[in-house]
Amino acid sequence: MASRNRRDRFRVPPSPYLFIAPFFVVFAAFGIYPLIYALQLSFMRWRGAGEAHWVGLGNYLYLLTSPDFWASLGNSAVMWLLIVPIQVIAGLGGAVLLANAKLRLRGLFRVAFIAPFVTPLVAMAQVWIVAFDQDYGLVNHVLNLVGLPDVGWLTSTAWSKPTLALLFLWKTTGFAIIILLAGLQAVPGGVYEAAALDGASRTRQFWSITVPLVRRSMAFLVVVQTLAVFQMFAEPFVVTEGGPYGSTTTAGLYLYDHITASDLGTGAANSFLLVLLVFGLSLVSVRLLRPKDEAS
Amino acid sequence: MSEPPMDRRGFLKGALGLGALAATGGTLAACAPGTPGGPGAQPSKLAKPTASAASAKGEITIWNRSGDLFKVFDAAIAKFREAYPNVTVNHQAVDIDAKLANTLISGTDVPDGSFWDDAKIGGQAEHLYDLTDLIAPYREQTSPYKLSVNTVEGKIYGVPWDLDPGLLWYREDILESAGIDPASLATYDDLLTAARTIKEQDPKTRPIHLDKSPFLGQLWLEMLANQQGTSLTDAQGRLRLDSAEYRRVFAWIQTAVKDGLVTHAPYLEPADVNTLESGQQVFVPWAIWWSFAPQQLLKATKGKWRAAPLPAWTPGGPRSGAMGGSSFVIPAKAKNPELAWLLYEFLCFKEPGYTAVYGPNSVYPGGLSTSIPSYQPALDPAKPLFQPIEALGGQDLWKVAVDAAATIPAAAPIPWWWAQSVDYLGNNVQRLMEGKMAPDDVIAESAQKIQRNLIDRS
Repeated sequence: MASRNRRDRFRVPPSPYLFIAPFFVVFAAFGIYPLIYALQLSFMRWRGAGEAHWVGLGNYLYLLTSPDFWASLGNSAVMWLLIVPIQVIAGLGGAVLLANAKLRLRGLFRVAFIAPFVTPLVAMAQVWIVAFDQDYGLVNHVLNLVGLPDVGWLTSTAWSKPTLALLFLWKTTGFAIIILLAGLQAVPGGVYEAAALDGASRTRQFWSITVPLVRRSMAFLVVVQTLAVFQMFAEPFVVTEGGPYGSTTTAGLYLYDHITASDLGTGAANSFLLVLLVFGLSLVSVRLLRPKDEAS
Repeated sequence: MSEPPMDRRGFLKGALGLGALAATGGTLAACAPGTPGGPGAQPSKLAKPTASAASAKGEITIWNRSGDLFKVFDAAIAKFREAYPNVTVNHQAVDIDAKLANTLISGTDVPDGSFWDDAKIGGQAEHLYDLTDLIAPYREQTSPYKLSVNTVEGKIYGVPWDLDPGLLWYREDILESAGIDPASLATYDDLLTAARTIKEQDPKTRPIHLDKSPFLGQLWLEMLANQQGTSLTDAQGRLRLDSAEYRRVFAWIQTAVKDGLVTHAPYLEPADVNTLESGQQVFVPWAIWWSFAPQQLLKATKGKWRAAPLPAWTPGGPRSGAMGGSSFVIPAKAKNPELAWLLYEFLCFKEPGYTAVYGPNSVYPGGLSTSIPSYQPALDPAKPLFQPIEALGGQDLWKVAVDAAATIPAAAPIPWWWAQSVDYLGNNVQRLMEGKMAPDDVIAESAQKIQRNLIDRS
């Protein structure tokens, strides 16, 4: 009797598997297979046609000894520093602002914050190009009105990264606000009421309640934006084409350069090095921002 | 008993890993067609079609760039259809730079023929028809430069179309007031002397245009190298940047920069246009396609610009080099390659064809004057395909361009990695133009990086 029950446990009707099969077929075809294919490609030299040659770790060694590869990572790291900390702070500020029930014109603010996020990036990038042009851009025009000289926002290596970072911040801070606002709204109102009854000031409530309780949302935001910054492609591609002098060639754009050069094996190897890097950075971010109750 | 929930940390780690993998590696892999290690497309030789104009029949899809040139070709294709009434041409405006290479590699929706930059052809030769036999009857009468850039390992893969000679564009009124005879600008040293004379009269001028785009700057550099009979690589693909010819160009740029004789501005962007209009820029050594500027962009100085042959690098040397250019290719996987060849043969080598492209048409009533044909029988000075240009004070640009083009030396095939080398050479040439790098450093650093990152990995 017992053995029959065990057999019945494995006698599951096929229909559930049939219903979920399409997802797995599609995922295998467009997720798993390309992934394995790319891994295989990363050990080969292949230009998109002709015979591929097995080069072992050659592509990886080439990249790891290439100043351009490290420069692209350096550019992405600087962009990360210019973007993520500012975005977490600005996002939290925006979320607190929008969470305030007494705020007037809240709907208007919400639209204002989210509008850049839903606007096509290429359109925004074109606005950036026009606004920050060294010779006829609006920003330099304003500087000239107050007696300041022109700045090569997109043409000098000193300013190109901050200018692109500003575009990225403008574009995606609305997303940060959404994430953090969701975290904020999950905080029970009673916690604040209790703190107020105990005489905690607004500042004290912010640091002792708001920040600790949205830490998970902040960790999620940092991980997602770390991924986004290290894959940043469209902004430098459209606005600066990676220049001037490679100063905005991000890791994502450098990877793309291999693809356009038909150096697909190196591109694949580059993508896997990025995977490792982003994975490591994400783990570090999660660990650093882990709430204290989970840390032990 | 319910299953224990998945460990949250484990799930997060797994999700992060998969997300990151999918976001980077997966995206890349999705772009990669074909099978590594599998057989590649073999070059095919296209035989001469046996069908006559009357019997040729079928439909072809032809890709072209969008814009004015598309309309010009559209009209020329209509002329072709008069000669080949049973051939239907599906003429499409396509972003060729973005699509053609991918299409050739994947073999999907391949056109029967396409317009393409000369610089791109060498890199995709294995996906194109070998046209050597078809070009053979026209070979002796085609520009040696165009033949050389379309040749890979002795085989011709493109139908040579336009020739883009470099010319010296100058402000006639300013030279006249400075007492400079344009005919006296025989060498690049003469050009520096003339620029100094103009600057002495008006210290605000910075007479010579240098381009502030790494890509166009490198294309311009190659024009000056071609003028001296050299190019970035030799026929075997060996780098020859470290040479007297390149060193001569770099030294000239360095002198012009040090003496404050240059305006460093991006090609025909507002800053450039302003300095052209204000008289700050007086000389623009550039390809024939700069003729677009006085005809379309420059309002205040329209009619004041003229063209002359480039100065020579050494007395009596060639007075022009090629800057850019395009040809037509026929993909090896084209469905009707013979019909595509008939079309391109008509447009490039038959008088009604090249006349329809370059002669007066509804888009350019005076004719297309931004390049000239590379087929020498089309370059008859007595039979100009485009008219004297009002925006150049009625100058006969045709004659100037044809005379200059006759001096353009042959070149070596353009290496497939040429566009990628802009990241090294093009950038360093810009640094030279900004006075931040010396000629020897440009040569040494660019050569080292091109060799390591491009040639050694070919």
